[in-house]
Amino acid sequence: MSAPILQVAHLTKRFGNLIALNDVSLEIREGELFSIIGPNGAGKSTLFFNIIGLQKPDAGQILFRGMDITGKPPHKICDLGITCTFQVPRAFASMTIEEAIRVGAYKRYGERDVARKVDEVIALCDLEEHRRQRCCDIGLSLLRRVELARALATEPMLLLLDEAGAGLNPTELTELMTVLRRLNEEQHITLCIVEHVMQMVMGLCQRILVLDYGEVIAEGSPQEISTNPRVIEAYLGKGAVC
Amino acid sequence: MTDTLIQNLLNGALTGCIYALIALGLSLIFGVMNVVNFAHGDLVMVSMYLTFWIGLGTGIDAAITPLLTFPLLFLIGLLVYYAIIDRTLRQRYVTQIAVTVGLMTFLRALAQLIWKAQPRALPYSLIQGSIQIGSYTILASRLVSAAVSVLVIFGISLFLSRTWAGRAIRAASDDLDAASLHGVDFRQTYALAFGLGSALTAIAGGLLMTFQQVDPTMGVRFGLLSWCVLAMAGLGSIPGLLISGVIVGAAEAMGMSLWDPRARSLVIYLLFILVLWLRPRGLFGRK
Amino acid sequence: MRSGNSLPRSLLIALLVLAALLPLVARSNQYALVLFTTVLLYGVLATAWNIIGGLAGQLDLAAGAYLGLGAFTVGTLLIRWNISPWLGMILGGLIAVGFALLIGYPLFRFGIREVWYALSSSALVEVLRVAFLIWNQVGGPMERYLPYHEWSLYHLRFATYMPFYYIMLGMLVLALVVNHRVRHSRLGYYLMALGENEDAAEVLGVNTQACKLQALALYAFLVGTAGGVYACMYGFIHPNFFSGPLSTEVAILGIVGGMGITYGPVMAAILLVSTREFLRANLGGQLESFYLVVYSVVLILIALFRPQGIATFVRGAYDRLLSRMVKE
Repeated sequence: MSAPILQVAHLTKRFGNLIALNDVSLEIREGELFSIIGPNGAGKSTLFFNIIGLQKPDAGQILFRGMDITGKPPHKICDLGITCTFQVPRAFASMTIEEAIRVGAYKRYGERDVARKVDEVIALCDLEEHRRQRCCDIGLSLLRRVELARALATEPMLLLLDEAGAGLNPTELTELMTVLRRLNEEQHITLCIVEHVMQMVMGLCQRILVLDYGEVIAEGSPQEISTNPRVIEAYLGKGAVC
Repeated sequence: MTDTLIQNLLNGALTGCIYALIALGLSLIFGVMNVVNFAHGDLVMVSMYLTFWIGLGTGIDAAITPLLTFPLLFLIGLLVYYAIIDRTLRQRYVTQIAVTVGLMTFLRALAQLIWKAQPRALPYSLIQGSIQIGSYTILASRLVSAAVSVLVIFGISLFLSRTWAGRAIRAASDDLDAASLHGVDFRQTYALAFGLGSALTAIAGGLLMTFQQVDPTMGVRFGLLSWCVLAMAGLGSIPGLLISGVIVGAAEAMGMSLWDPRARSLVIYLLFILVLWLRPRGLFGRK
Repeated sequence: MRSGNSLPRSLLIALLVLAALLPLVARSNQYALVLFTTVLLYGVLATAWNIIGGLAGQLDLAAGAYLGLGAFTVGTLLIRWNISPWLGMILGGLIAVGFALLIGYPLFRFGIREVWYALSSSALVEVLRVAFLIWNQVGGPMERYLPYHEWSLYHLRFATYMPFYYIMLGMLVLALVVNHRVRHSRLGYYLMALGENEDAAEVLGVNTQACKLQALALYAFLVGTAGGVYACMYGFIHPNFFSGPLSTEVAILGIVGGMGITYGPVMAAILLVSTREFLRANLGGQLESFYLVVYSVVLILIALFRPQGIATFVRGAYDRLLSRMVKE
């Protein structure tokens, strides 16, 4: 079994009286396709924001390859090799796709080599024909691809994706899954996919962690998760309310 | 020494109630539609001049003119909203600021054009005399102004919580998407909020004219002053607004009496920066 | 808006030659020279603003603060110790930078953004103005005059405005070069990114706070040095140099010129400042401040109907003209 790349221990986050995360622990191993799922309001996004450093936890510890990164600012965490894409794409609206990717590419490359890295990522993400389009002029599915591309340009070891599949149609979804699988196999990037919809991660991920009301209720392989009574209850319970 | 200080603090705190009233108008506009109105302070200045004009021309007292200027400023607010603000809602906030700064320059230059640069004041007021508390004298006009401000502030908060129009304004400030789902026409609501926010400066302008003079450049002071009150109060707390207004008014008076008469604005600005640094969300706010 | 923002080199050189020849046309017409120099000054200020405002998206309204600090540094050094404004300008720029960092650090540290940044920076100008009014050793309510010299390069004092025109032109070129360099460097990309979305920039490894401080420092330095020239040109220093209206006008020029477009603010300065001065000269006589009423209406109209900025408009007109000439 490979070494852990990310360890989260006893993470707790409160907003006023609301406990968004309660004593959450998890471990992601190097080269793994990991997923965090849970119904709406389960604390997935909060966990995600705490790992990448946009929010600071009230208690607990986050280790990246053995190094304590708890409470560090996001750009330092990115230096170390973790980055993410957002649930609602946060586009650099007035920049072209090429320029947006360049922002990420500057992380590991100086002025001399940055253009080469941009070309490489554009080729990898199949964005050549769009490279001069402006981010405010493109649709959601392309926007998600740009988000992924600019994140890849920073050459992360661990990439977190927050609901990357939301709003995509089935064809686009299959495409995305192929891209993610390829990234994992060819670029050896560890992926952590935060998802609301179970179907997307079932076929893709090796291990799944389920959150509900800020607590870990299950962890295991897709088969184990899909038959776990607590998970079914969490999802069906929500379904019954709707 | 302490006597004059306390005297000044009392005066400042009373004027602060009017500041809270001005800031309430600003918070309606900023809180509801997130529009940064740089011209708000200059609307106070315009209201003061209108009060002065009406007072001079017809002899109507400054304390009563808000009855006339309130609807007038409401109309001006609607006009500004539909002619200018409405077109900038979908643009970057810098465009909004450019437009309201343009409006600010316009109002100031217009006031200078019509009323010239020298300060003006009304020679009389209906509210005469003063009240003696211990060794401290309080001008009746200040006291009445403060009382009216407090009443209007609570009146507006009742309007916001009890009437359909008021609730529409509050709904729009909480969550525009949800509000439009429930049949709130956001443009009408915005126009209403902008008109009401502007109209409140009419009351403040009238009250201020009962004991102050007006000049075309004083809009800057009211503008930053009301932003200071708003920054301190945060959005959505009516008592917080009142307390912040009183604090700002008292701080201003203290700066004037302890340091230098010219330091009045300095104290407010320092207070403003301090609040932003220490409590970016305000002392009482929910957002 | 931001891509394709560089002008053809031939046009740039032609414009520069034209600008260099302009005083020869104006000859001894001092009014025209002051007007041209003022336009250039606003060009410098707005171009500098473009770094923090246009690229980084921080609506800074404190240009007057840095201008005043530069002017007072130069003036005080010259009056008290006869130190050359050339040195004073550099020092003034550095003092402006120091002050900007002192103020900027806590503001950015506490994540003060957008409106609140704009307001607190504009408050800064007024704080300094009043502080210098009260501080009698350096400021005070009276003008402090710089020593008179018919023609002294050391003292940067001349009986004609001609040299100031060229100095200001040089500063404008400097400001444009800095702007252009920044725009096409790592810092420029980082600033544009954080101007659009700070969180997204952060997770891509952009130290947003440090980048904003760098932009602020560049801007303050350029404005501070321009302030030094400003003091020498007018021959006195006064706390009113910490001017709120000037600060907002600089930001407005940057906005209506076209956010982040290198040449936008200069175009806006040329068009708007000369319009304003034209109105002042032609309408100011009978009706004081009438020109400001007209000017502000022009401003509002441009902001409403040309939100992408004058630069894109001018650029479009230039392209059309060029294609028509090629056709013929």
